[in-house]
Amino acid sequence: MNGVITVGMADYKTAKAPEILLTAGLGSCIGICIHDPVLKVGGMAHIMLPSANGSLGGNPAKYADTALELLLKEISGMGANKSRLKAKIAGGAQMFSFPGKPPILKIGDRNAEAVEQELKKRGIPLLVMDVGGSFGRTIHFDVGTGELRIRTINHGEKVV
Amino acid sequence: MEITQLQLDALREIGNIGSGHAATALSILLQRRIDMSVPEVWAVPFEEVSVIVGQLDLPQAVMYVKVEGEAPGKAVFFFSVESAEIVVQALLGTDVPLDLFNDEMAQSALQEVGNILVSSFLIALTQFSGIPLQPSVPALAIDMIGASLEAIFLEEGMLDDTVLFIDTQLSGIPKIEGQFIFLPDKGSLKKLLGAMGL
Repeated sequence: MNGVITVGMADYKTAKAPEILLTAGLGSCIGICIHDPVLKVGGMAHIMLPSANGSLGGNPAKYADTALELLLKEISGMGANKSRLKAKIAGGAQMFSFPGKPPILKIGDRNAEAVEQELKKRGIPLLVMDVGGSFGRTIHFDVGTGELRIRTINHGEKVV
Repeated sequence: MEITQLQLDALREIGNIGSGHAATALSILLQRRIDMSVPEVWAVPFEEVSVIVGQLDLPQAVMYVKVEGEAPGKAVFFFSVESAEIVVQALLGTDVPLDLFNDEMAQSALQEVGNILVSSFLIALTQFSGIPLQPSVPALAIDMIGASLEAIFLEEGMLDDTVLFIDTQLSGIPKIEGQFIFLPDKGSLKKLLGAMGL
């Protein structure tokens, strides 16, 4: 498709209207979408874990804190005004549960919490938070309008 | 850890033996011929997982089993929803269309398939390596393949940038397409290779 930019796992991309950012098959990961509605630019990150703290290093786009930092830097580099930025996030599901066993680490929940906190820390309003559940999500983000389309296999589709 | 060509060959051989047993078990279960590809060993960054599984948001039935014992890891079988339906129909001896998303009986049959396939794989692996391994109760997700795999990779907060796994394609007539992957946990790779004198 023309004008659709795909964001892979542990990856982030920026775009300008009328481009659409896409990430497919979010499970426990979170898709962070940020845009400047006036300049009509924005970006998306597909983060996998809450924090780079204590990690063995590696790809910074994998973690909520470091990925957001990189994404914001790039969006600012496109001329976006930090005070105008708005965020929407989706993902953070718990895809599997083992009968009789509590999930050891609800990584999806922890991811959602971490992203929420990182956005708050930077004063970026979080307009939509479509997280949790036990199903995957594919998301399309229109950086011009800020529309986020969330598609699932068996739990409907919506635009928020 | 760096992997040598010799070690790759050994891992492929693990895949061959284990998946061969699993394919045979599936064949007996369904009473039909199941073919198996030559296993491939992948050590790829997360970002490239789609190269192996194809389109990340296609619905697939994923049976996930944790491997416990001295060389823990994860074993995952996945079928397209259509194939999963054929498998369950063959098992239940019916050709009535099934709603896998909501039919608990069908889901439990799929879990059982996962259980049998992974157990066969592990028995072969245990015999081959001398390392005792046991499967957990299987968990099932019928959803976007990318979402399911990502959750599996991240369980217990995996920190590696690279995932290593042994990948085998299974196909049966008519129209069964499945894939089996085995992911040794970090320390397990050393143990498995060590058991083979590598």
